[in-house]
Amino acid sequence: MKGVGLGISALLLAAVLLVALSPDRERTEREAGQRAGTVAGAVDAAALAERQGGLLDEIVFLRETDLGRVTGLIEAGSHQLFSQGISSPTVVNRLRDSIHADMDLAFGTSSELTLNPTGPILADGSLNPFALPEIREALNWLVDRRHVAEELYGGLAVPRTLPLSTAFPDYARLAEEARALELRYAHDPDRAREAIEAGMGELGAERREGRWVFAGEPVRLRLLIRTEDERRRVGDYLANLLQGLGFEVERRYRTAEEASRLWIATDPAAGEWHLYTGAWISIVIQRDQADNFSFYYTPRGRAEPLWQAYRPAPEFDALADRLSRRDYASREERQGMMARALELALVDSSRVWLVDQLNASARAANVEVAADLAGGVSGSALWPYTLRYTDRLGGRMVVGLPGLLGEPWNPVAGSNWAFDRMITRATQDPVVLPDPYTGLYHPQRIARAELAVEAGIPVEHTLDWLTLTREAQIAVPGDAWVDWDALHGRFIPADEAHPEGLTARTRVRVRYDPELFARRWHDGSWLTPADFVLPWILDFERASEASPLFDPAHLATFEAFRRHFRGWRILSTEPLVIEVYSDQIFPDAESIVAARAPSPLPWHVLMLGILGERRGELAFSSNKADRQRVDWLSLVAGPSLPVLERLLAGVQEQLQEQLPLPYGDALGDWLAPGEPERRFAALDAWQRAFGHFWVGSGPYRLHSVHPVEGSVVLRRFEGFRGPADRWLGLSRAPIPELLLDGPLVVAAGRAPGANGLAVGGREGREGAEFRLAVTVEGAPYPEEELREVSYLLFDGDGALAGRGEAEPLGQGQWRVRLDAETLAGLGSGANSLELAVISRRVALPAFASHVFATLPPGEEVPR
Amino acid sequence: MKPASAGRPVRPDLRRSRLRDLRHLLLYAAARLLALLATVVVGVYLTILVANMGGQVDELRLVQIRSEAVEAVRADPAFFDMPGEERSALVERQVALEVERLRLDQPFIVRSLDYLRRALSLDLGRAEQMHSDRGSREVRDIIVERLPATLLLFGSANLLVFFTAVFAALHLSRRYGSALDRTVIALAPSSAAPGWFYGIFLILFFAFLFPLLPAGGMVTAPPPESRLEYAASLARHMLLPVAAMFLSSIFVSIYSWRTFFLIHSSEDHVEMARAKGLSARRIERRYILRPTLAPIITSFLLMLIGLWSGAIILEQVFNWPGLGSLLFQAIGHRDTPVIIGGVVIFAYLLAATVFLLDFLYALLDPRVRVRGGRS
Repeated sequence: MKGVGLGISALLLAAVLLVALSPDRERTEREAGQRAGTVAGAVDAAALAERQGGLLDEIVFLRETDLGRVTGLIEAGSHQLFSQGISSPTVVNRLRDSIHADMDLAFGTSSELTLNPTGPILADGSLNPFALPEIREALNWLVDRRHVAEELYGGLAVPRTLPLSTAFPDYARLAEEARALELRYAHDPDRAREAIEAGMGELGAERREGRWVFAGEPVRLRLLIRTEDERRRVGDYLANLLQGLGFEVERRYRTAEEASRLWIATDPAAGEWHLYTGAWISIVIQRDQADNFSFYYTPRGRAEPLWQAYRPAPEFDALADRLSRRDYASREERQGMMARALELALVDSSRVWLVDQLNASARAANVEVAADLAGGVSGSALWPYTLRYTDRLGGRMVVGLPGLLGEPWNPVAGSNWAFDRMITRATQDPVVLPDPYTGLYHPQRIARAELAVEAGIPVEHTLDWLTLTREAQIAVPGDAWVDWDALHGRFIPADEAHPEGLTARTRVRVRYDPELFARRWHDGSWLTPADFVLPWILDFERASEASPLFDPAHLATFEAFRRHFRGWRILSTEPLVIEVYSDQIFPDAESIVAARAPSPLPWHVLMLGILGERRGELAFSSNKADRQRVDWLSLVAGPSLPVLERLLAGVQEQLQEQLPLPYGDALGDWLAPGEPERRFAALDAWQRAFGHFWVGSGPYRLHSVHPVEGSVVLRRFEGFRGPADRWLGLSRAPIPELLLDGPLVVAAGRAPGANGLAVGGREGREGAEFRLAVTVEGAPYPEEELREVSYLLFDGDGALAGRGEAEPLGQGQWRVRLDAETLAGLGSGANSLELAVISRRVALPAFASHVFATLPPGEEVPR
Repeated sequence: MKPASAGRPVRPDLRRSRLRDLRHLLLYAAARLLALLATVVVGVYLTILVANMGGQVDELRLVQIRSEAVEAVRADPAFFDMPGEERSALVERQVALEVERLRLDQPFIVRSLDYLRRALSLDLGRAEQMHSDRGSREVRDIIVERLPATLLLFGSANLLVFFTAVFAALHLSRRYGSALDRTVIALAPSSAAPGWFYGIFLILFFAFLFPLLPAGGMVTAPPPESRLEYAASLARHMLLPVAAMFLSSIFVSIYSWRTFFLIHSSEDHVEMARAKGLSARRIERRYILRPTLAPIITSFLLMLIGLWSGAIILEQVFNWPGLGSLLFQAIGHRDTPVIIGGVVIFAYLLAATVFLLDFLYALLDPRVRVRGGRS
């Protein structure tokens, strides 16, 4: 018996091991695919040109939280892309070392020192040196940003001095001014020491035996140091610097949560902290950062005690306010205001900016994707249109995400998690798409647009898919819909709501793609104008107390919208032309059109959600779901699905009995005959086939959702119309690469006409010549794609001695010539020539610098 | 045929003795129930206090709510041109809505008592921040959704460890001092390292260096549609975590059970049985296993309810969607209802198990109920 028992046990064990260790079908297929891809080696150009929609056949999203395994998983071939930003130098170095892995860099996070500006005497009687702007300003010279970027962040950061991200367009627009300020506030510990000593003396402190003392007590600084990332090392570095200057420093290591109780929630006058290692994140490219001054330096930024303690200089305050209100008449005026505000921000220095951090998105070496300059892969709107294998067309790709299905998915007020949004983006086909490197919008389903703005409003127009005109006055036509009557279910036209007439600051006329209504939703039904109309009705219904869909959580957003919304109307449906009137202004014409152009949502899916909410069984928003203690509508999984199935069956019965649907009168004109029946039948078939109600029109459709197992599968939507290679030109960030060459020593002080100069320059000519090569991936950077190639010349004292534009020589070569007079003005010493290159294709400016010496008159230039 | 005692009158002193025993048993059970209930109440309320840091979490939440509202407004282009004052007013409205939703406008003590009342009545309610993976906010759904994965992984591993350890220990107790016995004793300190520690090495070897098994997850992605393939994939994904747990606890388990059996096998009654010349198998079953059954059952039941808590780090290492990582997330989100939900169920399970064991002991061992009844 014993032998039999043992035998059975052994057999069972062997069976389990056999099953478990047998080759995994998915893995075998994947490896076979990879081998095939490697053999193929290149994408068939003809097949690529013919392909419509997604460049992959299947995308599998998997939950993977451990960043330490990223390289290993890519090398093992189990994953090909990771969406989360990696800021660990160790992991990034592993990625760099791997021949199977590569990465894209994003710039969305910035690190700074938040200073407590209250005092100088705090509630406990102690001295706060940072109450004095001069001492705050001195910290800019004290910290070595290059050290912070290269040593503390392991090279995964770039120095930042200004309240503007170095990767966003405003920095490029102000590159010259920015560079001058960066040099003015470059690392200079002696200057910092002098300024701090002067400031401390002014505050009544004295230095005894190398220690600062105030009212008989040592001056003690409380430094809040965040512990979760490299800011721990930044905090220690700063603490050491301050201790070196004679301050007593108490290092308070805190997590985000613990620190927020102190630096945000407490009154800074209480003296719980003096400095805090802060950081800010932006997941989209901000094309206009004019608001930053108001937000970071004035009490208007936030209501918390710290912001209320800010006392900006009146000039700075007024300038920040005007910039936040976009109160300027022209681009030039704005430039001037921004430049001055930057100067004043550094004088104020309530925050000392340190670095813009780089986050890496890991991918396999044979994978390419357009990663957003700010948001990385997860923030890129173009990833669904550009993600591909570089060595083959189609195939399956596994993407790792730190989390998925964080909240229920619905298109009205569903999950706002970045990684859920990343997945759902692939199932949608927006009418405009932002450029991942400039933030400017490109048309996707718009043929063209016409924007009219009131005269005198500073709006800039860059791309040629829209036209910009200025009009003295823009009247809202009487038949434009300005409101919605929830009680009677009808639109309210302008002439009824505003018989006296209504004007707007902008009019956007959007002409959609003529083939728009020849496109299908994933469930096979055709797009119709009703897909544009019902989302508007729903928006108004959710804000109306008379409606069963009223949602208090929606009200605030809606009221903000109503502040600038002036009306809209559908001018034609073949092709679809929509006009929208609004008072909201963005500096870029493309952004105004993008904000106004209506996007379609499948009305039949929305209708099920509406019915669910009306019957008190489901709710679109989390807040309403909690208030009513019902389920938050999820179209993909969970307890919402049986409710939706029941509602769908009910609607189909209702249609059979020819009973009207909600908003039937308002929607009626925009529906084709028999459309409701066809729509719900298609949705029924879709739900039966795939087990969910998520319907989009993007290049990928939601194939399956596995909530507990932590995976989501997208498959290519065969019915998608649009060339697969349309956006491939934006797959890689065209950041200019610079190589600046020129003489190391020049003779200065000769009068024009005398024999000048240059080692490396041309003999017998006056002045000096410097050559700049601008390339991208080894090829010359097209001249027409460069907005500006300018230079700044600094003399040996760091003072600005000249500025100008470089001359194009063709083939990516540029020349800067400094005439003898300019060189004479430099005097003798070490000078610096700084080149700034601003591309039209990428917001990130590129800089190059060249140091050269000028010799006093009479000295011979060595050869 | 009737039983031998049929028709025979029960002696009055025997009946009295049985009634007395029954009374003592009921008194004992009632006392134990009351004590256990008090323990559950205290344990759950302490959890509520700890999870909310005595109410200080409210302050943290308010800061978090406000920061999120500010950042959401700032990041939304819809509010781009809104004046600062209006923006602040908007943020205040959003904060007020959230404060109302989370009942932060009520004193913590009131909420804590409400949490306790609902927890004790097993009304787990709705989570404040979290959702189940499928999207439900009901705490019950959130917990139940993760239960099968936890039971499967930890149940398999623990049962494997338990039975392997008990039978291996019995075997070794018969071969005291053998090479195998000495090896197991030498390996026992290896259990000082937790399962996740072995897991990291197993992943390194079997998923990266020699990629035979998956590095993590529960099944292949996407999960196979056929049940057989799904089960095979599940088994493949379970191998490494089960091996990690097995490695981390098997040697010390064998060692402790072996010591336990060795102590019992040197009892007088066992020596007497050996002296009587009974077979080794009979001695093992009747004279060692049977008297030690109570502690074995205790250990087994406690092991079973221990499954409830899962293992936070091991689940993270293997990306396993279990209850451990759920509780970890709940603590991270400070989602009090989910934390309480997890704890109160564990508390009830533990209390029920302890009561069952006490009751079994009382039934099996008269000394227990007499002492218990008197006490």
